[in-house]
Amino acid sequence: MRSTISSAESRIGEAAPHTGGQLPAAHRRTRERRNYRSTLAAAAFLLPGFLLFFLFVLGPLVFSFRISFYDWNIINSELSEWVGLENYTRALGDPVFRRAVINTIAYTVVTVPAQIILGVGVAILLNQAIRGRSFYRVIYYLPVITPWVIVSLVFEFIFVGQGGLANYLLKDVLHVTSENIRWLAHPILTFVPIFLLGIWKGIGWTAIIALAGLQSIPAAYEEAAAVDGATAWNRLRYITLPLLRPTLTFLTVVLTIGGLNAYISNLLITNGGDPQDKTHFILTLMYEATFEGLDFGYGAAISYLLTAFVLGMSVIQLRLLRKKVEL
Amino acid sequence: MTVTSQTISKGGDEAMTTSKLCTRFIALCAVLMLVGAACSSDSGDATTTTADGSGTTVPTETTTTSGDGTTTTASAEPQTVEYWHTMSDPETAQLEAVVAAFEAANPHITVETTRFAYDDFKAALLTALAGGEGPDTARMDIIWVPEFAELGALQQLDGVMPGFDDIADSVFPGPLATNHWDGHYYGLPQNTNTQVLLWNKSVFTEAGVDGPPETLEEFASVACDLSNPSDEEYGFALGGTYFWAPAPVFYAMGGQVVDNAITTATGYVNGAASVAAFEMLNDLYADGCLSPNLLGGGIGTADGHATGLYAMITDGPWMVDIYAGNYPDFEVNFSLVPANGSGSTSSVVGGEDVVVFADSDASDAAMAWTAYLMSAEAQKTMAEVGVIPTRADLIGDPDLPDYFGVFLEQLTTAQARVPHPQWGDMDNAINNAFQRMLNGEQTPQEALDQAADEINDLLG
Amino acid sequence: MRMSTGKRISRIASYTLLSLGALAMILPFWYMVATSLKPQAFIFEIPPRLWPSEATISNYVEALTKDSFGVYFLNSLIVALVSTGATVAVSAMMAFAFARFEFRWKEPIFYTLLLGMMIPPVMLIIPQFIVAKNLHLLDSLVGLIVVYVAMNLAVQTFLLRGFFEGIPRSLEEAATIDGASRWQTFWHVALPLVRPGLAVVAIFTFLYSWDEFPWAHVAIRETSKRTLPIGIALFQSEHLTEWGQVFAASIVAVVPVIAVFVIFQRYFIRGDVNSGTKG
Repeated sequence: MRSTISSAESRIGEAAPHTGGQLPAAHRRTRERRNYRSTLAAAAFLLPGFLLFFLFVLGPLVFSFRISFYDWNIINSELSEWVGLENYTRALGDPVFRRAVINTIAYTVVTVPAQIILGVGVAILLNQAIRGRSFYRVIYYLPVITPWVIVSLVFEFIFVGQGGLANYLLKDVLHVTSENIRWLAHPILTFVPIFLLGIWKGIGWTAIIALAGLQSIPAAYEEAAAVDGATAWNRLRYITLPLLRPTLTFLTVVLTIGGLNAYISNLLITNGGDPQDKTHFILTLMYEATFEGLDFGYGAAISYLLTAFVLGMSVIQLRLLRKKVEL
Repeated sequence: MTVTSQTISKGGDEAMTTSKLCTRFIALCAVLMLVGAACSSDSGDATTTTADGSGTTVPTETTTTSGDGTTTTASAEPQTVEYWHTMSDPETAQLEAVVAAFEAANPHITVETTRFAYDDFKAALLTALAGGEGPDTARMDIIWVPEFAELGALQQLDGVMPGFDDIADSVFPGPLATNHWDGHYYGLPQNTNTQVLLWNKSVFTEAGVDGPPETLEEFASVACDLSNPSDEEYGFALGGTYFWAPAPVFYAMGGQVVDNAITTATGYVNGAASVAAFEMLNDLYADGCLSPNLLGGGIGTADGHATGLYAMITDGPWMVDIYAGNYPDFEVNFSLVPANGSGSTSSVVGGEDVVVFADSDASDAAMAWTAYLMSAEAQKTMAEVGVIPTRADLIGDPDLPDYFGVFLEQLTTAQARVPHPQWGDMDNAINNAFQRMLNGEQTPQEALDQAADEINDLLG
Repeated sequence: MRMSTGKRISRIASYTLLSLGALAMILPFWYMVATSLKPQAFIFEIPPRLWPSEATISNYVEALTKDSFGVYFLNSLIVALVSTGATVAVSAMMAFAFARFEFRWKEPIFYTLLLGMMIPPVMLIIPQFIVAKNLHLLDSLVGLIVVYVAMNLAVQTFLLRGFFEGIPRSLEEAATIDGASRWQTFWHVALPLVRPGLAVVAIFTFLYSWDEFPWAHVAIRETSKRTLPIGIALFQSEHLTEWGQVFAASIVAVVPVIAVFVIFQRYFIRGDVNSGTKG
């Protein structure tokens, strides 16, 4: 079981160094030979996947990069005009884009920790010998397995400004407000349903991953600690969570990427930036620029700025979360 | 998977190291991509996708089309015309009858129709055209034609399409003009529409108001009389802040977006009449007489009107069939958009144009289909489900539904939006100005001054 | 079973918390079901009702008989099943190679792959379309499947690499000493040990393929090849959205995914027992 943790560390950490430089010549030859055979075997295992990856992910990525330097004419590409970095500078100087960046970051900063805290909490509760475990798992997973398009429509429907379920609960049941709240007409309140949806939909996924992580922790550790008289909180704090670190790292990185790339809920709920283009996420702006404004070059530049940002964030997170687990 | 990997690991023994393999592989892929991109940008691609999904080359042939849409063909090689649209359920059902009639008259042509959701249609069209896989013809929103024409996606029809002049002479000039861009026509007006006032009779009767308002002044006071915000009841509601929604009131008040030559917005979108129109709507909103749903997230106008929450809305002829399907007990009542101080009414022209795409490889058959869609026969068939014809000779035809009367009358005064490729951005400028005033950030004058500047930038 | 008072309290607290959370999870879903049973005239009733005053199944009847709903359903099923199978196979092979083989540029290659996790999928659509066109994959279910597999590879390989690295090397070394080839080691030794991971991959890929909208929307034009999300999007209209029908169709679309999840989560638990985490 130690291997789970240490190996996950090396996965996240730097490349395992294997230069043959200091070895005697004879050794080096056999070593190289072994590596060489290993390389061939690796190529065989990697080829089918990489073929698809190159064709449908990496290649298109390169192509988009090219588009981002043009005023790209999507119908007659030979009419496209080279504009250099103009699309990029335009984005960085555009207040709508800056607002979209702030919104996207806010969404990520709020929804990612909320999903992890609630999801891991659910996983810990489910990792006990309790009745109805499968029942709860299915319930918590319902939002995850319901398509984004559908849940976005449902949340939009619940947060209707007049007579929606949310207003009914707040006004007529809980009496928190005396008037209907115009959720989707307000540039800040619009984010209430969008953020809630992001959290609501992600808890189940986070819980399942965390549960898989928890189940790989030997019960013996916790039992030993319990025998030693450690409280439930201390067992969680000093045993479970540290052992869960690789899982938490994975969750943080993947959820952050997901958060920064969020767009379907925003597109459907705000209708693409309403009101006043103040509620865009980076991708809704990109979608609007591309498919509404036909500005493919600008859209590609926005995507690249986002990709660069996501990449930077991921690297930073991996470095920060890489710390060794002391056992 | 098993087979692939084993074969490769055996055969690769004498081959290259990983690094070389990868380098070559990346290079190969990059080349492939660039070649692929270059190929796809050639427009002379004669391959079309047929029903079985295989690529077949369709031979071109000489086709002549007479004014009534029947076609005589030199060679009777079968041809397929792809036609994309965003029709509603009843319209789609009716379209099948139109296709059947056309195919019966032109046995060598098959028409394949594909329906899209309106919101996704532009994206779907663009991606398909980019990949050289677009349809031959489509029915698109009138405001998109200049945009697609500027991209070079559409075929010029005047002087190219057989019988074009006859068809052009037979239709209303307003809808025809929406196809005009840079000196040529890039489509034909398949159908037209406009918005009129819908008033909920039972709400009016209950409040003791006899009939629909005839002047805008009366309209404003009735709207407030019929409002009771605490119960979410409003005298008037708009579907949103995008230009189409306030357009009937805007034009009826005498508002204008730009000058006729489309050179400037100054003095037009921020002129006295335009500002007065938005001031009226802004005041109605502030006084709780205009539903806040227009800022988003409220009950839609169609639902709210039928359920009695919104006493008045403005909408188009399709509402008859939509209400028949969803609110069978609801009685729809139309009237002209209330008149301004000098007694004249107006509204906004909507509708769809049928276009032929530049890279269609069955353009003769596509034009024959286009001509048929413009025929009196086809237009009358579609009229049965609330699609207003564009042929002037059909006015007064006893087969047309009775409720068309008010729409046809409104159309005589209705105005078109700005026929410009950047219209979408202009619409957005006005939309944002409207939202700024509703939120109290700017007065109507300030908001529209800013919109005028933004539109002037777009006009270059 | 005897329990201390403290344990009893914590047990009750656990159930309460889980049930409250479950309620929050289920409420929007419940509202969707209720709405799907309402006629349009009652959709926006004030106050909203959590159960329709007069329930009707007419929305289901209309939704299921509209267009070719049955065909969309079948297409989605084929695409989701094949994409899932292929993704599990391909990403397991890749993950095994990254976890167990030493080769030059291993980490740079891995990070290149991870790039695929970080790309907004929407930005790839136009070039993907051009590639698919040149390979004659447009308007075909294969075109959907290859893209779904490609888009899932990165994240699933990342996930599975961790699972493979969690297996004690000694097991595989023993197999190698017994003369097993790398492929046999992978297939007979490693793969069975990461079954919980494979189940996770299967669930996620199935969900992704079942939900995916943007690519299917541009790559498929023929009505007979459309998948469910496209069919559902068509229920939204320019003038009036028939919420009852939208939600009725949505519920029908969600049922198979629930089935898949229920089946695989059982397997999940069995996998735990088999891999002997208790010891």
